[in-house]
Amino acid sequence: MKIGLFLCHCGHNVKGTVDVAYLSQYFKDYPHVKVSCDYPFLCSKPGQEMIKEAVIKHGVDRIVIAACAPSLHFELFRQVIKEAGLNPYMLKRVSIREHCSWIGSDPIKNTKKALKLIKAGLHSVWHAIPFEEKKVEIERSCLVLGGGVAGLSASSFLSQMGIKVYLVEKGGELGGNLKALKNIWPGEKSASHILQILISRLNKEYVDIFTGAEIESVDGHFGNYRVQLNVRGKRKELKVGGIIVAIGCTPFDPSLKRDIPYGRDRRIVTTLDLERVSELSLPSHPRIAILHCVGSRDETIGRAYCSKICCMNGLKAAYDLKRSYPDSYVESFYMDVRAHPRGGEEFYEKVQEKGVIFTRSNVPEIIPKKEGILLRGEDTLTGETFEREFDLVVLSLGIGPPEDGKKISQILKIPLDKDGFFLEAHPKMRPFDTPIKGIFIAGGCSGPKDVEESITQGRAAAFKLFSLINMGYALIEPQVATVFTERCSGCRLCERVCPASAIVYDHRSRVIRIEEAQCAGCGLCASICPSSSITLTGYTDAQIIDEQRALL
Amino acid sequence: MKGKKIEKKGLIEALRRFLKDDFSLVLAFVKKDGFFRTRIFRRELEDISLVNPVFHMNTSVILRRIFTQDLKMIAILRPCETRAYVELKKLAQIESHIICGSVDCFGTVPSRIEPLSFPEEVRELKEVLDKSEDLRNACRACSFKSGKYGDFGIRFDSKFNWWFVPYTEMGKALSNLIDGEESELPEELKKGEEGKRLNFKSSLDELRSDLERCVMCLNCRDMCPVCYCVDCLFNKEEYVPKGDALMNLALSSEGIEVPKGKEIYHMIRMYHVSQTCVGCGGCEEACPQNVPLLKYFKGVSDRISGVFNYVPGRSFDEKIPYTTFEEDELSDAED
Amino acid sequence: MEENVKIIGFACSYCAYKASEMAGSLRLKYPEGVTIIQVPCSSRVDPALIIKALLEGADGVFVAGCHPGECHFIKGNYFTRRRIYALKEMLDIFSMKGKLRLFWISASEARKFVEKIKEMHKHLRESKR
Repeated sequence: MKIGLFLCHCGHNVKGTVDVAYLSQYFKDYPHVKVSCDYPFLCSKPGQEMIKEAVIKHGVDRIVIAACAPSLHFELFRQVIKEAGLNPYMLKRVSIREHCSWIGSDPIKNTKKALKLIKAGLHSVWHAIPFEEKKVEIERSCLVLGGGVAGLSASSFLSQMGIKVYLVEKGGELGGNLKALKNIWPGEKSASHILQILISRLNKEYVDIFTGAEIESVDGHFGNYRVQLNVRGKRKELKVGGIIVAIGCTPFDPSLKRDIPYGRDRRIVTTLDLERVSELSLPSHPRIAILHCVGSRDETIGRAYCSKICCMNGLKAAYDLKRSYPDSYVESFYMDVRAHPRGGEEFYEKVQEKGVIFTRSNVPEIIPKKEGILLRGEDTLTGETFEREFDLVVLSLGIGPPEDGKKISQILKIPLDKDGFFLEAHPKMRPFDTPIKGIFIAGGCSGPKDVEESITQGRAAAFKLFSLINMGYALIEPQVATVFTERCSGCRLCERVCPASAIVYDHRSRVIRIEEAQCAGCGLCASICPSSSITLTGYTDAQIIDEQRALL
Repeated sequence: MKGKKIEKKGLIEALRRFLKDDFSLVLAFVKKDGFFRTRIFRRELEDISLVNPVFHMNTSVILRRIFTQDLKMIAILRPCETRAYVELKKLAQIESHIICGSVDCFGTVPSRIEPLSFPEEVRELKEVLDKSEDLRNACRACSFKSGKYGDFGIRFDSKFNWWFVPYTEMGKALSNLIDGEESELPEELKKGEEGKRLNFKSSLDELRSDLERCVMCLNCRDMCPVCYCVDCLFNKEEYVPKGDALMNLALSSEGIEVPKGKEIYHMIRMYHVSQTCVGCGGCEEACPQNVPLLKYFKGVSDRISGVFNYVPGRSFDEKIPYTTFEEDELSDAED
Repeated sequence: MEENVKIIGFACSYCAYKASEMAGSLRLKYPEGVTIIQVPCSSRVDPALIIKALLEGADGVFVAGCHPGECHFIKGNYFTRRRIYALKEMLDIFSMKGKLRLFWISASEARKFVEKIKEMHKHLRESKR
């Protein structure tokens, strides 16, 4: 083992309070240190050259650079080491600027601290092992779960980019929730027309559509997933590179709410029913009530969240009804009108101008009577209670989590949030990612979304997956966990905690195996293993203990 | 909760019926030649002793790493042993078809003071043990003496009638082998003690002086039922250096004391078993130097598992706290 | 040598270690007895390492990770939280609770980081006297 130690003055930044020359002299005789020298600016061209020359001249096989913080000049020094003919993982950076010279002002203390830090760095580099970033071939194909708007949008993009898409739809035909709609706000676009456009954009050459199909199991890792499908009772195995989950959301079932006599009276309909029915049998001068927030923002049924799209649905229903029945009296009972999409607020005004009455209220009682349906509630602006009869009550339905959310979450090992929607890896930075590389989420299954958003999300998730698949290979992070099988007791603690689901228990040999391509390198398994049978390369126990010893 | 009122004869008959199958075994205590022993029966079973007042070791130590699928076994053990079995099952160290149940315990004495004559009859045995001054520390501190753990329990009511109480499907299967009808349990068996936790407090100095005698033979680890690793952390040299590593350490410091790392070994082991320690005192029994280990291990385990309201061995379904979390908890964790 | 308080800190590379680098660039001062070991995630820190450090001469150990819910590995720090909490409970038995601290430091919280370690250092220095 021959270590090259290089200290940087960083001009006056380090040298000002750390006796660099003394340190470089001190470490000349340190175990395994072959060459120890200091230089004003290691990051400068001559500095880099000096490192390279020293490596070649002294046959150094590992290097410690004591300079600025490791995240600075990260690539630069790696490159230097590579050019000197060494593996970049044989380099250890010691921060004697950000963690030493800049945080204290006493030269003696700082020099002492730098000495400890460099010792720790040297001890750590003893354990360094060269790594090659492994490349694995990946399948140029993907699985899209859900043939709704988001799934179609994702499939059309991927198929056009020449990625083989297996589009799996549980139902009999494509379209998802869009099938249930007649036209879509804004602009009264025909839903079936939009669906046609989406389907026509699929590049047929690259898309295999499985309707009436469900996934049964998935194993493997990014680039090489093996998927078992059940297509109308027949099993089918697929090999795919990545997975997009777009299983959509489910409209709230109002019969779940006991105080709404939905299904027992034909005069109570949902916004979705309105889409289906072409002719409503209403008396002249019909009295129509629109109830907002049915199945959302309702703690009593465990749905505290706002379903976001039902306000627009309620407004649209009110508008359509008022237009079809100009002599009608339409009253909308709302909590808040959240007309968030572009043009939504203007539409809200338009609906008001049309003559729809808006009452901010709580309507806890819906009582069907012979003459009409009695609504009893409280006007939350005036605090007064009211009783009114209507000929038609329209429920604007909230959005619930996907039907198969739990099942898919268990098969793919991706998390759900407390409401049952899929959880993104980061709400802002990684909204389409799951914790597992190569599995993305899009559309209503990660929270209520309208058609426009679902199309956007489908495309965005597809793009993220495309950028991974199009590389043609996957780089395996070399600093992954490894297991010493002979020491493993097979207690499966690590399997239970692994956030990347990279640990597989082998039932035959009763030990665990680590899917390297899946491992994220957090080291959680290494620390939960009571016998330390798992180590995280680059951060092994021995390495940390040696560092620790040097620092004490 | 329901159970069957049984007599010893009925239980033994049921076990004999079970043993008719070639791959069936029964693990139980037996009194032979005046000594209490633990025996695995095959095919034939003469007599068993439900209660064993002499503690040699935690029998679950030998139940580790049993994976044969063909094997069927009934194990009738003490509550502490059964709880260790439950933990081992959760840790995937046992996969065989074992029906493990616990018998009400009245405390045990260390095996080193054998031979002692103990009566066979449960009522008399309880009287002797209640008065005994030789009870082990572990049994004095134990608050899990009732047979409420594992697949089934054998309980004694206030009149010393025997009750067989199944807790799981496997326990029910055994219950079906026993003659008799199920009936409601007497009240006193329904309540029973809830394990109270010690609020243990010590100091590093106290630990150091207690460990003064420790010779690092690691017997306490080997006899611990929940120290299940096939290759222990302390077999490596990182935490407890030996040989060259020890000499290197001596050379790179101002000299060191040997054996090295006594406190480190015991404290890390305390942490490792903190969620699963059943407080059986097996470690203390195994210690040749009489180090009072139990108070530390049980004390640490009581306090840490108390944080997560976890009782080792209470149920097969409770997750070991270190393997799970809740997003919204321990808000005072940050300093 | 009253200043001779040795603290070892384990800092997550995604947050606290970045904060420590930033603390340096901001020229924030903290005692030189504090040294930091970089770990990929606070959940890499095996309590055994902490016990070893504390019994082999460290006056204090801190573990600094991302705020709950912000872990790069999604749920690593939730496990850290349970473990360190349990370990603190254990150290409390041996009257060593003050020697272990858990901090939640995001990459931008350099000032909080420095305040926390200064406070810890002060506390340990006083209890050492």
